[in-house]
Amino acid sequence: MATLELKGVEKFFGATQVIHDMNLSVADGELVVFVGPSGCGKSTLLRMIAGLETLSSGEIHIDGQRVDYQPPSNRGIAMVFQSYALYPHKDVRGNLGFSLKHDKVEKSEIDRRVNIAADILGLQDLMSRKPRELSGGQRQRVAIGRAIVREPKVFLFDEPLSNLDAALRVHMRVEILKLHQRLKNTMIYVTHDQVEAMTLADRIVVFRAGKVEQIGTPLELYRTPANRFVAGFIGSPAMNFLNADCKDGKVLLNDREVCRSTHPDGPTTLGVRPEHLQVDKQGPFQGSVQVFEHLGGEAFVHLNLADGQTMVAKLDGEHQFRPGDSCQLGIAADKCHVFDNDGLRVAS
Amino acid sequence: MRRIQDRLGSVGIHAILLSWTLLALFPLALIVVNSFKTRKAIFGDPLGLPTGKALSLKGYESVMTNSDFPMFFGNSLIVTCVSLFFILLFGAMAAHAVSEYRFKGNTFISIYLILGIMVPIRLGTVALLNLIVDMGLANTLTALILVYTAQGLPIAIFIFTEFLRSVSREIKDSARIDGLSEYRIFFEVVIPLVRPVIATVAVFSMIPIWNDLWFPLILSPGEETRTVTLGVQQFIGQYTVQWGSVLAALSVAILPVLIMYVIFSRQLIRGITSGAVKG
Repeated sequence: MATLELKGVEKFFGATQVIHDMNLSVADGELVVFVGPSGCGKSTLLRMIAGLETLSSGEIHIDGQRVDYQPPSNRGIAMVFQSYALYPHKDVRGNLGFSLKHDKVEKSEIDRRVNIAADILGLQDLMSRKPRELSGGQRQRVAIGRAIVREPKVFLFDEPLSNLDAALRVHMRVEILKLHQRLKNTMIYVTHDQVEAMTLADRIVVFRAGKVEQIGTPLELYRTPANRFVAGFIGSPAMNFLNADCKDGKVLLNDREVCRSTHPDGPTTLGVRPEHLQVDKQGPFQGSVQVFEHLGGEAFVHLNLADGQTMVAKLDGEHQFRPGDSCQLGIAADKCHVFDNDGLRVAS
Repeated sequence: MRRIQDRLGSVGIHAILLSWTLLALFPLALIVVNSFKTRKAIFGDPLGLPTGKALSLKGYESVMTNSDFPMFFGNSLIVTCVSLFFILLFGAMAAHAVSEYRFKGNTFISIYLILGIMVPIRLGTVALLNLIVDMGLANTLTALILVYTAQGLPIAIFIFTEFLRSVSREIKDSARIDGLSEYRIFFEVVIPLVRPVIATVAVFSMIPIWNDLWFPLILSPGEETRTVTLGVQQFIGQYTVQWGSVLAALSVAILPVLIMYVIFSRQLIRGITSGAVKG
């Protein structure tokens, strides 16, 4: 049970700054997801929290104690790696108990903790196997188990599901969520997959190029993204961005009013999520169907608008279009997002 | 048609490999075969098998009883094993340092350590002899061990560095989080992962040391400190050469290398091939 606080954390590799003035406080028991495209510094920041990278400046506090000059083992953290990082020459039991044995914990206590972790993760039948005899999902469970036996204050996950196939990823995501509900530990989870971020997080931190773009709950990020980057990153399929005009407080697309905005007159960017669009004979989005993808319960329409812009809409499975058909879509005005020329969202 | 071509290709390759094997084994076989023959038979019929009157174990008898051969054998074994131990230990540690840690002069140091491959250590024989004499180590096995360790390190570091770079960074990080010291990470995590490479380096380093005549001749030719290769010389006199004994001594001297090779061969092959295909 612990809080985590970053104060003005910065990191330079040579002359390149990879983390810019990072301030973040994570509450006790919170699961915070760092998300962003690859190379945005999220993994580096996690390694700094773990103590595997030094800080160029700033402070890290875990449970109120400054830890950034401490070695990793004294910080009260445990980390799960993308490649599992199991010791290949030790069996599952050896892998789970290795850190405790090294800490000179009593044998009975090691057995107790190893057994608890094995029960939680369903590893009891695999205890005497070597890592190479396990499947990807089992290996990842052992890696998580190794973190559990340390009884850390903070769990750190570095893209733990990236190496698993799609079905297993969904399964393990649920397992991690259950684990968090059961252990109620503070957790930091790094991923580049926005679906993982949305489903797991209490709060999401969106990174781009070493800077925080926005911090908020998944729904806050979805409903009120701070800027175009966050709006485009969160949500699948991604939000449509259309060039529009603003005139007298009205946002116009091909001279049809879509919504109202406080944006000053002039060109602007309109953001609409594919799932908020619906077929509407009076709607402002008119175009011809380029591609129609039917998934059974739902369907994606790729539209070519009159002015040449393209957009995607997610409709329910009732609809049926053929390429070349004309299609008219509408949206509720309060679901529209307007972005100014700097990409920042304009409050409606 | 295609299958016939494949067949012919594979027969051709095997024919080449087989003739190469025969060529390489021929001198060895000649030594072993002739070591079981009388002196007369060795010269009368060098290629003949040791049958009937030609058979003689006199060579082995004189090697085992009338000479200091067991002592020479022991000296060789001590020098080889101790040098090998230091080469493996220091080679792996140096390679771990240059491949794992980022520090100023890292590239310079790794190039400096590997540069030794290109400079034959024998060029420095005179300087080495002076140094050894000044240190009072002439005619000791220690002198040989020091020189052989230095001789074996560059290639060992070169091979180890390549392989240690391929050890997953996350495993080492994970051990760091588990609270292992850097030494224990090296001995308990890294070393078990590169065991095939250790076998490779061991075999590559061992053979030149075991077979060397140059340094024993120069640094420790004393009666007590002779190695096998030097010891064999005692059968080669100014006027007569006891060929039976020489060949018997050489045949026995092959044994340790052969045993080591058999022990390490599976790991050795894995070590050599995993470099190419990352198996």
